[in-house]
Amino acid sequence: MNCEQLLQYLSDYIDQNLDEDLSAEAQEHLATCPNCRVVLDTTQKTISLFRKQGKRVIPAHRRQRLFSQLQNAFQQK
Amino acid sequence: MTNTEQPLIQALRQRNPEAFTQVFNQYSDKIYRLAIGLLNNEDEAEGIVQETFMRLIEHIDQFEGRSQIGTWLYRVAYNLCIDHLRKQQPNLTLAEEHENSAKLPQPVILTNWHQPPEKLLASEEIMTQLDKAIESLSPTLRAVFILREIEGLSTAETAQILNLTPGTVKVRLHRARLQLREQLAAYFAEQTA
Ligand SMILES: [Zn+2]
Repeated sequence: MNCEQLLQYLSDYIDQNLDEDLSAEAQEHLATCPNCRVVLDTTQKTISLFRKQGKRVIPAHRRQRLFSQLQNAFQQK
Repeated sequence: MTNTEQPLIQALRQRNPEAFTQVFNQYSDKIYRLAIGLLNNEDEAEGIVQETFMRLIEHIDQFEGRSQIGTWLYRVAYNLCIDHLRKQQPNLTLAEEHENSAKLPQPVILTNWHQPPEKLLASEEIMTQLDKAIESLSPTLRAVFILREIEGLSTAETAQILNLTPGTVKVRLHRARLQLREQLAAYFAEQTA
C-alpha cells in the first residue's frame, strides 16, 4: 500500500471496516510512513474532539419559549 | 422496527401532552444541532426547530409510520435548512465537486498536535475553532458529518435523511473528516509550535 491508497482507506481503517488483508497492508504502510501516521493520528484526534464537544443544546430561554409555543399549538390542532 | 413507535404516534394523535413532551425532549436538541451546524445562527436554528415540530403537529394524523419519527423530523429539518440556505445563496449546489473521482485532497499539514486537556475542551477558544472548521465545509459535507459523527447515526439512516446513497454518505464523511483535520491541524500546530 502507498500513501495515496492509505489516504483512500483511512476512514475505513479508522472505522474498522477493512477486511483483514487490507487492514494488515495499511498497518504495514503505517509502520514505515511517519507522514501517514500523523495523518491517521490527527484525524482520530479531530473526530474525537468533535464527538466530545459537538453536543450543544438549545439555550434554556429559547427552549422554554419553543416548548410552550409548540405545546400550545399541539393542543389546539 | 417502526412498530415500536405506534403507541407514541397514537398518543400524539390523541393530543396527549406527555407524548408531545417526550418527542420534543428527545429530538429538539438534535434538530437544533443540525440546524445550527448548517445555518450557524441561533435565531434561524430556533426557527427551524419550531417549523419542524409544527410540521409534525400538522401531519401527525397522516403520519404513516413508514419512517421513524426521528428520521422524519431530521428530514424535514434538513430540507428546511436547505431552503433557507438557498434563499441566502441562490447558486447553492448540493452535489460535491469531484465526488466520484478517486482523487482526494492531499493532506498538507503534517505536524502532529496534542489533544487539548479535558478542562480546556469546553473553552470558548476551542469551541470557536471547531465551529470555524465546520463552517469551512460545504453544507452537504456538514450535514453528513453532523449526523454521522456528532449525532452518531448509522450510514443507512444518514442516507435516508439526506436522500443519498450509503456510498455517497461514506465518501462525504471521509472528505469531511480530512478537511476538518486540515483545519484543526492549522490551528493546533500553531498552538503547540
Ligand atoms: Zn504514507
